Amino acid sequence: MLFNSYVFLFGFLPPVLVGTWALRIKSLRLLFLTLASWAFYAWWDWRFLPLMLSTTTVDYVAALAIHRTEEQRRRNLWLIGSLTVNLGLLGYFKYAGFFFGSLDGIGRALGAPVDLPALHILLPIGISFYTFNSMSYTIDVWRRRVTPTRHVLEYTTFVALFPHLIAGPIVRFADLQPQLRAPRLRLTSEAAGIGCYFLVCGLVKKLLLADQLSPHVNALFASPQQLGFVGAWAAAIGYSLQLYFDFSGYSDMAVGLAWLIGFRFPQNFNSPYKAVNPSDFWRRWHMSLSAWIRDYLFIPLGGSRRGPRRTVVNLMITMFLAGLWHGAAVTFVVWGLVHGAALGIHGVLRRAGMTPRSTLVNRVLTFAYVVAAFVIFRAPTLHVAGTILGRMVGSGGVESLGTLQALLPGRFVVLLVALLVFAQVAPNTWELRIKPRLLYGVVTGAAAAAAVASIAVPHPFIYFQF
Amino acid sequence: MESSAPSAAVEQLPAGTADAAAEERLDRNLAPAIAELGDGVRFRRYALGALASMLLLLAAVLALNVLVDPFSLAGTKLLPPALENDRTTKLDLIDKLETNPQIVVLGSSRSRQAEPRFIEQLTGKTGFNAGVTGGSAADSWVMVRTIAARFPHARRTYIWFVDYGIATNGINPQLAEDPRASPYLGRTGVGFSLADVGTYIGFDATKASFRVLRACIEGSCHGRIRYRADGSLTAGSQRYLPERAKSLARTVGQKVEEIRHQPRQAPRLGSKRLVWFERALAWMNAHGATPVIVLNPIYPSVWRLIQRRGAARPKQALATLRRLQRRYRFVVVDCEDISRWGGKAKDFNNATHVDQQNMRRMLRYVVARSRGALG
Repeated sequence: MLFNSYVFLFGFLPPVLVGTWALRIKSLRLLFLTLASWAFYAWWDWRFLPLMLSTTTVDYVAALAIHRTEEQRRRNLWLIGSLTVNLGLLGYFKYAGFFFGSLDGIGRALGAPVDLPALHILLPIGISFYTFNSMSYTIDVWRRRVTPTRHVLEYTTFVALFPHLIAGPIVRFADLQPQLRAPRLRLTSEAAGIGCYFLVCGLVKKLLLADQLSPHVNALFASPQQLGFVGAWAAAIGYSLQLYFDFSGYSDMAVGLAWLIGFRFPQNFNSPYKAVNPSDFWRRWHMSLSAWIRDYLFIPLGGSRRGPRRTVVNLMITMFLAGLWHGAAVTFVVWGLVHGAALGIHGVLRRAGMTPRSTLVNRVLTFAYVVAAFVIFRAPTLHVAGTILGRMVGSGGVESLGTLQALLPGRFVVLLVALLVFAQVAPNTWELRIKPRLLYGVVTGAAAAAAVASIAVPHPFIYFQF
Repeated sequence: MESSAPSAAVEQLPAGTADAAAEERLDRNLAPAIAELGDGVRFRRYALGALASMLLLLAAVLALNVLVDPFSLAGTKLLPPALENDRTTKLDLIDKLETNPQIVVLGSSRSRQAEPRFIEQLTGKTGFNAGVTGGSAADSWVMVRTIAARFPHARRTYIWFVDYGIATNGINPQLAEDPRASPYLGRTGVGFSLADVGTYIGFDATKASFRVLRACIEGSCHGRIRYRADGSLTAGSQRYLPERAKSLARTVGQKVEEIRHQPRQAPRLGSKRLVWFERALAWMNAHGATPVIVLNPIYPSVWRLIQRRGAARPKQALATLRRLQRRYRFVVVDCEDISRWGGKAKDFNNATHVDQQNMRRMLRYVVARSRGALG
């Protein structure tokens, strides 16, 4: 079930809101929210519900067992058991096909084909997100940073809560524990207003902005050979904007829905295209994932404590895994490595005092590198990515005016320029300070109506595939 | 406008600060700026204003579209529909047929390019194109029965164009409303469903309503798509076909994206959706015909993507047709891959519809592969 579908907005959400606020007893409300979230998940494919339930059960039991014992060896064993199950399931469903395919490819390249079976395993939606949610819980309990809950419904609600289940934000138990322990009794006007505001902002970003860019961007990426310098940059910038408005739109919807059912989620995007260096970009883009990989990968690897060389190696490993998290494909791996290299190079240059002083120059350079990296992220193959990147540096020359008119419809150009300026200048949804007046409410409602009117054929969110 | 508080909450990735401090920092920004700006009463007005204006606007749009009824879903009939009501047109043409068509073309808009005159050149048999926009198996069933009722003692055979979904059990409202169809559809009626509400609060329906209103104000309410007596499109109609895309590359891009987002596994083709399809096959067989089922062509780059993703849907379609062949007599000609029949990528109207040039190439292949079913 997509947030941007009639069945969700008019079929699922109203009864869930009524049910949530009608149930004042904590256990009943958490049970209701858990069941509603499971139904939300099963709507897509009920066969994968047991998979999520098994992850939930394993981590719930493991966390309690870790907490109960003081013996470090037993604590380690429980943690390893939990991580093995989580990563095993993630590895099988997400990476087994890729691994077998790669092995087969390497074998063929070396002249010794291994003839491994071609696996067509269906990727359970949201598995990367709920696995990371759940893993962070057991790790935090093992690190003694979080006290595990004995209340099973608090835990099932934490893992399954429908606003973040499919595509984040990746929430930590520490974020939600106080909210689960003492749920709000009534839906306040403030929560309803803020929930509506975020939900509508998300719908507008997704349906009226990202989805309007999508067909033009797809057409450009479908024929890379036809692109020249301008077309290639338009494709790259168009996709970067599409991805930002799509994913940050989803995150806004998740935050809005959370407010409407009495929860608060962390910010996931903070105007990433205003970043002034690669490190700044990752503090602003998909913030919940950045924080996750920092806390559970980069720092355990040694972080930046072991000298510049080891820091660069740690960054490369971390970003390689972050790339792989996005999908089992060479393009994602290379995209991660490019970011790892950029972070490392920037760190070295910064220490040497060789980074530009002008904020504007830093911003332009960072934006150009992020946009170029997204070409690798979006392209179906490295070959296509290479072609488009080549065109971006002028290998295909500049298109004639006639070709440009055919490649870039006026509507697309206007939208592209407007959104580019918007993303660079305007405050984001977390910064926007509109006063909650009736007039703004009417404007928000009109924007919601326009977004709902464009739902007819729902486009899935880009991050659903991860 | 840079903000500092939210970004400060998430530690810098290649932490220049002490890692231990970063590890401790699990708190994140949970309070948006808007939360600081109002009291309860203001937020209540804001939320109610938003909800009320959204519902009022959607209700107004729905009312407009129901009144104009551009897709003939509500049955208001105050104005002519924006979509060509070719079901009525085709049933009218069948009423006017003077001789029995020996070959009947069935299917959706993807079959409309098949010219009976060209089929006659290939087979020596007269024909009639009964394909209709959005044609379902129920449409084909009604067309088959109506022609049979018109010429009860004559024999004919069929070329039936289907997609890899093969059939649905849905009945188009335009068909359900036509009194000539009702004897063959039993008591299955359709009303204005929830899905139709969704369609009628959408932009496409609203744009179509405005198109209808403008056309009527300008005094040209009637459609521009015309048919010959044999059910084929007139040459002048080609440029007005809704499937004729301004940019072929763009529609291909959209289709590619749609397929990229589809699950690799095919949804099960339940027996319910084949009810009208099987009923028509049984009837054709009982009346001595061996229909030729043609799997519609797919734009080459889209087809390659489908192949790369395991081609679950085309494989399932072929398996389903093979299973049906145990019970019914028909020939399958798979035209999905256009290289089999010499199709050209440039001769598509959009990612799913071939133009007349490609249709002629395909018909040659279909006739050659029909194993005598078309004579």
